[in-house]
Parts: sequence; C-alpha cells; structure tokens
Amino acid sequence: MHEALLTLGFGLVTAAILSLSALAFTLEYSVTNVANLSHGEILTVGAYCAYLVQQHGGGVILSGLAAAAGGGLLALAVHNGVVDRFVRRGIGGLPTFIATLGVSLVIQNILVIIFGAANLGYTVPQGAPRTVGPFLWTDTEIQIMVSAVVITALLYVIIQHTRFGKSLRAVSQNRSLARVSGINANRVAALTWLLAGLIGGYAGFILAESVGTFSPYSGFSFFLITLTAAVAGGLGKAVGTLVGGIIVGIALEFFGGYLSASYNLAFAFAILSLVILVRPRGLFVGGRRSIFE
Amino acid sequence: MIDYLVSVLTEGSIFAIMALGLNIIWGWSGDFDLAFYGYVALGAYMTLVLTIGPATSPTTYILGLSLPFPIAVAIAVISSMLLALIVGAIALRHLRGIYFSIVTLGAVYVLYTFAGQFVPLFNGYNGLSGLFDPMGDFFNLDFTSYPFFYLGLCVVVLCVVLFLVTRLSGSRFGLALRSLREDERAAAAFGRGIYVMKLKAYVIGAGIGGLGGALFAGYLSAFNPSAWSPVETIVLYAAILVGGRGSNRGVVLGVAVMVMGLQEATRYLPEIANQPSFAPAFRLILTGVILVLFIRFRPQGLLPERRLRDKDPAGTGGTAVAAGNAVAGATLDTGAA
Amino acid sequence: MTALLEVQDLHKHFGGVQAVTACSFTAAEGQITGLIGPNGAGKSTAIDLISGFKVPDTGTVRFEGKEVQGKAPHVVSRMGLIRTFQSPREWPGLSVLENLILACFEPRRERFWRSLWGPSRAEKERANEQLIHARAVLDEFGLLHLRNERAGNLSGGQKRLLEFGRIRMAEPRLVILDEPMGGVNPVLGERMASAVLGFVKAGTSVVIVEHNLPFIERVTDQVVVMAEGRVIAEAPFDQLRGNQAVVDAYLGEMPTYDDADA
Repeated sequence: MHEALLTLGFGLVTAAILSLSALAFTLEYSVTNVANLSHGEILTVGAYCAYLVQQHGGGVILSGLAAAAGGGLLALAVHNGVVDRFVRRGIGGLPTFIATLGVSLVIQNILVIIFGAANLGYTVPQGAPRTVGPFLWTDTEIQIMVSAVVITALLYVIIQHTRFGKSLRAVSQNRSLARVSGINANRVAALTWLLAGLIGGYAGFILAESVGTFSPYSGFSFFLITLTAAVAGGLGKAVGTLVGGIIVGIALEFFGGYLSASYNLAFAFAILSLVILVRPRGLFVGGRRSIFE
Repeated sequence: MIDYLVSVLTEGSIFAIMALGLNIIWGWSGDFDLAFYGYVALGAYMTLVLTIGPATSPTTYILGLSLPFPIAVAIAVISSMLLALIVGAIALRHLRGIYFSIVTLGAVYVLYTFAGQFVPLFNGYNGLSGLFDPMGDFFNLDFTSYPFFYLGLCVVVLCVVLFLVTRLSGSRFGLALRSLREDERAAAAFGRGIYVMKLKAYVIGAGIGGLGGALFAGYLSAFNPSAWSPVETIVLYAAILVGGRGSNRGVVLGVAVMVMGLQEATRYLPEIANQPSFAPAFRLILTGVILVLFIRFRPQGLLPERRLRDKDPAGTGGTAVAAGNAVAGATLDTGAA
Repeated sequence: MTALLEVQDLHKHFGGVQAVTACSFTAAEGQITGLIGPNGAGKSTAIDLISGFKVPDTGTVRFEGKEVQGKAPHVVSRMGLIRTFQSPREWPGLSVLENLILACFEPRRERFWRSLWGPSRAEKERANEQLIHARAVLDEFGLLHLRNERAGNLSGGQKRLLEFGRIRMAEPRLVILDEPMGGVNPVLGERMASAVLGFVKAGTSVVIVEHNLPFIERVTDQVVVMAEGRVIAEAPFDQLRGNQAVVDAYLGEMPTYDDADA
C-alpha cells in the first residue's frame, strides 16, 4: 500500500508535466485543426533556453521564464511561418501535419549542430525529499506540481473569463463563422500558439528539471507520450486533455515501476492505440464511429 | 572513388525499392503510414537471423538457421507482410488521416522498443552481425569484385520491382486503388471494398519494404537499432514527395535527388565544419526544408503521376490502339500539371 | 410492375435524436420515384440506411427481394444499387475518362494477380469496348472535349454531369440520386431532366431526392413525402396537392413553384 502511494506521488509529478504539454498541444490543435508534430521541439527549445540561462548563473525562476519565452517564440514562428500559411492556402490537415514533421526534423537537427547530439545534464539542487501526507517529494517536485496547477488555473481563467478567451473559443468552434462575426481569426490563432508555446516551453523546463538530462531528441520522445494524453482526452478538448494527461502520467509511473521504464513509450502507445481504436474521438466524448458515420 | 560510387549506387537502389513500396501505400492507397520503416527493419532483422549461425554466448537471438541468402530474403519478405497484415487489419479498419498515422507511429515505436530492449529477440541494442558477402562464395567472388556483384543484384531487383509496380500502376487494380485515395465514399458507392483493397495495398507495400530491408541487411552485413529509427520513414516520404507522389518514375528520381543527391552534396561538409555529426544533421535539415517547400509549392512533385489519356483527337475513332493495361486505346502520358 | 426496392419500418437514432422513424415505401421497377420533404425530414439518412453507409437500428430494406439492410456499401452497390451524394463526389485527381472507366466495377480485372499478369486478349477487347462506350456517354453529356481533364477542375454543373455519366457507365438496376440539382445552374435543368429520363430507357430505375419541385413534377412517376423522420404520403405528384399533411409539412409553400428551388 505504502509503495503504491509513493508511486502515485511520482506519477503526479509526471502527470503535472504531461498535462501542461498536452494542454499546449491541444490549444494548438483547437485553433488550427492541425496536429503539430513539431510540438515536442517547443519543449526541447524550452529546456535548452533554461539550460543556457542556468549556465550563465540564472536562478530557477529566470530559467523557467527563459524556457517559456523560447518556447513561445518558437511556436509563434512555426505558426506564422508554416502552419498559418498552409491553412490559409487551403492545404488540408494531413499535408500540414506532414509539413510539421519536416519542421520538427529541421529544429531537432539545428539543435544537434549547435549543442551536439549527446545528452546534457541539467542539475538543480533538488532539496531533501520531504514527506507530504503519504507522499515523498523533493522541493523541485513540489515546485513543478504547484506551478503546473497555477498555470492550469490561469489558463482556465484566460479561456473562460477574458475577451481573448472568448475569441479563442469562437475560433476553435468554427473559424470561418468567427471571422464573419468580426474576430481576427489569424491573430487569435497566432496568439493562441504563442500562449501554447509559453506553456510548452515551461513544460520542457520542468521536464528537464525532473529527468535531469535532455538532448535534441527528448522533446520528441515526450511528445509521443503527450500525443497519447491529448488523443485519449479528445483532440482539441481542454478539460478532457487535462484528465487524459493525469491518467496517462500516473499509469506510466505505475507501469514503469512494475516492469521497466524503457518500455514506457511502447506502453504509452499501446494505451493510445487501444483508445483510438475503441473511442477515436477521445475517452470522454462521443462513441465508436465507422469511417462513414 | 569507384568504390564510393558503387556504394552510393547500391544504397540508392535499395532506398528506391523501399520508396516504391511506400508509394503503393501512400501514393496510391493514400494512407500516411508511419510504421513503414518497421517493415524494412523487420525484413533486415529476419534476413540476418535466418542466414547467420546459432547464437553463441553472450549474444542471444532467435533462429540462427544458416539458410542460403535467397531463401532467407523470401522468408523475411513474408514476415514483413505478416506483420503488416496484423497492423493494417487493426489500423485500417476504422481509422483514417492523422488517427491512422498516430496508431502506425505507435506500432513502429513498440517494434523499435522491443528490438532494442528485448534481448532474446534480435540481441537488443547490440544488434546482429555476421552476414558477410551473401552469395559471394557461391559465385566465387573475392572482396574486390563483390561490391560490383551486390550492386548488380540490387539494380536487377530494383528493375524487377519497378517493372511490376509499373504494370500495377497502369492496371485496373492500380486505378481502383487510386480512387480510394481520391474519394473513399464514392469508391464504396461504385462497388470497391475499401478495407480489403487498402489492406492488400498495405501488405504488398510492406512486402516490398521488407525486400528493401533484406537487401539493406546484406549490404550492411549487420543491423541494430542505431541503424534505423522510426524517423527514417520521413526521408522516404520526402523522396516520394519530391519525385512525385504516385508516380513510379518520380519516386526513383526522388530517391536519386533526396538520398543520393543530398548525400553527395553534403559529402565534404565534415571537414569544413570539423564536427562529425554536422553532415548528417545538415542533411536532415535540408530534407525537412525541402519537404515543407514541396508540400507548399509543388505537391505533385517533379514528375507528377501519369493519368490515362485518350489521344485520339476526335475521341470517336473506331480503331483504337491497345496500349495501356487498364484501357485499351488510351495510352499513358504525363498528365498536364 | 413489381417493387424493386421495398423499405419497411426503418428506424435510426443518433444519440437522443430520432432521425428516421417508421420509414416505409417502395420504388417500382422502371419508374422514377421522387423522395421529397422539408430540410431535416430524414431523407439523407434514409438513403444512407438503404445504401449501407449507415446501419439502421431496426427495419428491413429489400432490393430485388433480397434483404440488404446492414450490408456494407460496396456489397449493396455490387447487387446493382448505386447512390450519389449531395455534393458531387468525383475522384478529383483522376481524369474525367478514368472517372468513367472506374464506374464499372469489374472484380475479375481488378484482382491483384490478374493485374500483375497483364490483360488477356478478351480483356483487351472488353477494355476497348468500354472506352468506346465511355466516349459515347461523354459525348451525350457534352463532356467529350474534357475527357483528359483532371476531374477536380470541372465546374459544379460539369461534375454533376460527370456523376450522371458514371451512372450510365455502371448501368445499375437502381440509382438513388441525392439532390442532383443542388448547386446546378437552372440552364442545365433540361439536360439533367432528360438524363434522368434516359436512365430509365437504359434500364436503370431511379429514386431521386430533390428540393426542386418543378423538376420532381416533371420527371417522377411516384412521389414519397417524408417529414420528421417518417413517410407521410406516397402518391403521384399531382395527387399530393390536395393532401393536407403534405401541405402542413411544407408550411403551405407547396404550391408556389417559383421559389421552390431556393
């Protein structure tokens, strides 16, 4: 029992990082209808920005901010430079999806050229593990979870209670209808990607903090797990994605604890395939549909 | 210099075979399959475990039957097709578009993980080796003449594959398959059993991929997880897109440009940059950029897919000349872009 | 006159919404049957249920006496019942000629091994006949000069005609046309009407869903009226005008032909 609770504690840390990453991914999807395969690179770039700041003597807060800024700028660049142009030209979701795969390849390898392909260590003083209720967490882990909760709450307020949030929801429901009713859909989409990039970059930072090392490829690996959470929760559905992130994060930790962590990715995909096959529109919405219904 | 040329051409032929297989799945049937390199890899692994001897400690792997190369290749191709049958039967049943892509990406990552982690299967991360100069002894070749023989073998296989896919491309089968890519509902309304047809195309494509993998194993004489990654599929997609999706000649041209051409163009980069990983990374950056630019500006590729053209100027002439396979009287010609 | 298509008591619901309730009607051999009703009456769902694109909750569909409900679309199609769609569904990347050639489903010639082996002499002849037939059909619909064009480049009206051409090539026992006049220039109306009448001459019975009532009046022998998921009337068009239920369903807009095609 005690062991299971400890595992649950670690699972909550993973879930926090995963939820942020998946929320960012779902934001990108919701306004453009494009599954961004270069999403992982937003996390990676965030991690590298944090690393650079740390190397120059910056503290945790400054590193986190730098990561968010780096991720945000990258997401904005990918949106304005590629995705938006493709969407506006009427190039469909699948070709754009393939194009973002190309973008991912480009960013990964630019990082390889600048920083090398090897793993870089990212060490922060973790602080001694302390007992919180039945769980055992370090200060860093607590910081990760608290910040994730705060960011999620902020995001909720932005989406539900601001003018921008209202436009965002309108665009994600029906882009052309939103445009007709006077919303600058392209600007809203760009800002949404910026917002998603800020969250994604920060997620990359806490991922690096939690794992301790990262490489040009780590964002992409984590993205594959992100995809599991986002699709399980229902693409483009924020609340579903959050729940999906928490469930998948905890499930991964339990599975990793009992078998081997190296199978994590394969396991995540096994869950994902199962979910897609049984409920292609996510665990929490709709039901099984044939390709013609 | 000549050695280098031989190795580039051999590699190019092998990649062209793989790309022709993938072209059936994506170019004709229209499914963006990210598992494809898994079938290539399985073909390579199976060829190795079938041709090399039994495992000796500390290495472990299945089989080790010391079979002759051609038989091993045949079995390897069949195993790739069987795996594709399983994956395709599940994924093609209800899924299309990005959902299909995501599930196939999942399938290939599961395979990759097991190949790398599950040591009893293919010796884990260290992989397999020991297939030296397949059929070299049989033809009494020494190490200087062998590369020429293997190049010849790969080119002959490529030509056979090219002949067969060209035949398929002009046939009713190929045409019907392309109608699935264009509009599935209409295809079903006109009697095509979509699921079975897509599955056929998927298995055939994977079989050709497995064949490419088998030849690749013979060329490398070894195979391990660092020799392939699921991302490798993107390079094949880039080659197909650049050459012309759906067009066999285009695919071969695409491989020449994207695999051999890029390799050649970036060959002297390591010396310039003084960094070992620079050239491959730079190549992948170029691949990504070209991929994006082609999707945006020339989605039909350099040599677009050919369409059936009725060349009879009046279009009512009674005596039509038999040429194409699908329709007599109409000959294949490059469609107007 | 025998019933070619017999629909009995079809039901289909989506979530809580009852899309089709107790839908029953027949379509006779050699006739043109209209299927009309206001928007949301369940006509499109009914077609989907008949042609196998959706599976009914309950009820039976008999085509030539055989039950077809719940069968896959391609199976229904191979039995000789072909449908079209509300928006034209040409194969856009293929040429007009290829679109026509592919309308004929030929299981033997489309087999993988057969295709790999190459065509036999008899098959080459068959292909040649098909080409000549295709040219004649294209000529009839005024598309001959476009035969090598990419089908996706045709105009909306031309796509409709192409769809009609495909039906002529396929020569099914029954065709269900889903709003063939939708988005078509009225100038083409006469041509479409004679094409529909031409189907019957060629041995293809027709069920036609259409909002354009003058068109329905002109071509149909029998009309089935649906409203709110159920069939409310089944009679020749000129007998419908006095039917109170039909008038109610259309909120009295039935007799005003002038704006009926809006």
